[in-house]
Amino acid sequence: MNTFATKFSTTSAVGQLRKAQKLAAEEDEFSDAAWGSEAGFGNVAKGAPSFTVPAIPDPAAFLRLHTDDHADPSCRIKIQHGTTTLAFRFQGGVIVAVDSRATAGSYIASGTVKKVIEINPYLLGTMAGGAADCQYWETYLGMHCRLHELRNRERISVSAASKYLSNLVYSYKGMGLSMGTMICGWDKTGPAVFYVDSDGTRLKGDLFSVGSGSTFAYGVLDQGYHWDLTDAEAQELGRRSIYAAGHRDAFSGNTCNLYHVKEDGWHFIGNYDVSKMHYDGPGNVPGAPGHGYGYDIRVEGRSSANPPEASS
Amino acid sequence: METSFALTGKGYVIVAADTTSARSIVKMKVDEDKIKTLSPHLLMAYSGEPGDTVQFAEYVERNIRLYQIRNIYPLRPSAAASWIRRSLAESLRSRKPYSVNLLLGGYDTATFDPHLYWIDYLGTISEVPFAAHGYGAYFALSLLDRYHDPSASLEEGLATLKRCIDEVSKRLVVSPGKYKVKIVDKDGVREVEL
Amino acid sequence: MSIMELNGGSVIAMVGKDCVAIAADMRLGNQALGISSKFERIFPVTDRIYLGLPGLATDVATLRERFRFRVNMYTIKEEREIQPETFAHLVSSTLYEHRFGPYFIEPVMAGISKTPSGAVKPFIAATDLIGCLNFAKDFVVAGTASTKLYGVAEGLWEPDLEPEDLFETISQTLLNATDRDAFSGWGCIVHIITKDKVVTRTLKGRMD
Repeated sequence: MNTFATKFSTTSAVGQLRKAQKLAAEEDEFSDAAWGSEAGFGNVAKGAPSFTVPAIPDPAAFLRLHTDDHADPSCRIKIQHGTTTLAFRFQGGVIVAVDSRATAGSYIASGTVKKVIEINPYLLGTMAGGAADCQYWETYLGMHCRLHELRNRERISVSAASKYLSNLVYSYKGMGLSMGTMICGWDKTGPAVFYVDSDGTRLKGDLFSVGSGSTFAYGVLDQGYHWDLTDAEAQELGRRSIYAAGHRDAFSGNTCNLYHVKEDGWHFIGNYDVSKMHYDGPGNVPGAPGHGYGYDIRVEGRSSANPPEASS
Repeated sequence: METSFALTGKGYVIVAADTTSARSIVKMKVDEDKIKTLSPHLLMAYSGEPGDTVQFAEYVERNIRLYQIRNIYPLRPSAAASWIRRSLAESLRSRKPYSVNLLLGGYDTATFDPHLYWIDYLGTISEVPFAAHGYGAYFALSLLDRYHDPSASLEEGLATLKRCIDEVSKRLVVSPGKYKVKIVDKDGVREVEL
Repeated sequence: MSIMELNGGSVIAMVGKDCVAIAADMRLGNQALGISSKFERIFPVTDRIYLGLPGLATDVATLRERFRFRVNMYTIKEEREIQPETFAHLVSSTLYEHRFGPYFIEPVMAGISKTPSGAVKPFIAATDLIGCLNFAKDFVVAGTASTKLYGVAEGLWEPDLEPEDLFETISQTLLNATDRDAFSGWGCIVHIITKDKVVTRTLKGRMD
């Protein structure tokens, strides 16, 4: 075990020595790509970027062992599990709403996570599963969407963009990537939503919700959803659904980030505190009910007792 | 997957449970009644381990009946809930515990108000305005947070229940087909078709 | 999933000047799913002793019934009210009776005891799930947010707080600690026990 520890240690004497040796050896081995040559395509010309993998026979098994916090709560690499994200298509575009909680076990590591990734002014991606996986690959997708624009003199369709991402993550299948994302945008065909996950599933649809709180969001979303929603109603439905999930699911909550994608690209509508929505509602915004979303606040003063007339 | 719902309204509790009895991947029966009438104003929906469910429900049913025979008056909902909870809690630390989840709905004829208790196989108890067991709970609870009204009329209550059932049918992978719905109010217990 | 984290919930007790405070959250969960926001886990034992029972919810109810029975039996036999110190030992021995099949509860208790001279002495104690007593002079915590509670309480608590200041301290401690715990929250309840009265307040906490 000690030899194993020393082998990977970065602070021990052996580690320092190894670092120094490596530095000396690599002194003149920088590829041209590192200096941004190759006409700026240095890191894309060769297709998908390459990654360093653990030097063991089965890297995927190694990663699984060290990243799965169900099997081992004390593992070093924590993957963000709890989340609620949703997106739906309607007459007026696409609504994208997400929560902002990040948990590590029962610890709420952050309440201000940005789970909507702004790929470009017309495309949004949502984040569920591995935060880093989503962030990296959706930013990478943004790069390729730009290249597509330059090559073809028109914006990439949401369908093509999501297919690109789907193919990309599928090529890493079994390696431990973890993402469940919705690629949302507006293209020549109008508003579009695609669900893409790291299994390689890619679904076109009107309404999706992803994450541990998704069932709660669906409960409210399905009942309130129809195609002819007005902009205000749709935004309210997105907010209300994220609140529902934030309330009932321990691993979702803190705040709700709301986006609306229209013909001219996405618009950030606002950030709403889940607890504030519970007690006071979302504030003075279009579609707001004027009172808190919370059950106890909504039904305050009402009772289910029915004493007979004579005794009351 | 077994699912049961219950919700209170103005002077009543609606209890609904799916009617499928499954073994492995086979539906053995599609019209099983999983809601017992324990006393004139008390309903209990049960779900969980096959075998345990009916055994435990009948044990409870007989004991509640025995109490009524001995004392003329039946147990009130809160007292019945406490007794049932304790039975489960004692069973939990026995050699062979019952794995049964319950929704207990009753109408208290002394105080004129409906009561609903959520009880799980561990003996955890909580009085709530609405409740659900099984995977259906993950869809229905948020929906009920949004639409449930404790002072709703029976028609409104049944409409809300319909929403829950529709939502679970829409989203749950192995959703149950049919539900049995029973109501308890000041007039006692009755079954309704949805 | 740990059985101690199945239902969630936390309790804290603090000592002040001739007063004690005990507070808990009100969430009852089933793992990640919240079931109820009105779950009580602090119970009065006598007029001057309160008992908090964080842990497995079925055992909260069972132990509550059990302690009520035992305290009543003590009162009848001894013809006097139980003292906090005595009650702490009663809790400890009740839990140790189940040494090899424990109740999954880590009780926290707070009370005011009378000294022979007639003065009052604040008392807090906690035990682990098999009854190891911990008499603290400052504060005790237990439950899913216990690690977070320790951190905040270490920073906020100071000796000889008056009842109103103690209320503020314990409230802020609990509220801020539970905001960092996924399994605690959904409202809080605080009891401030002084020699001649108990003040109970519910707090508006985060509901997510």
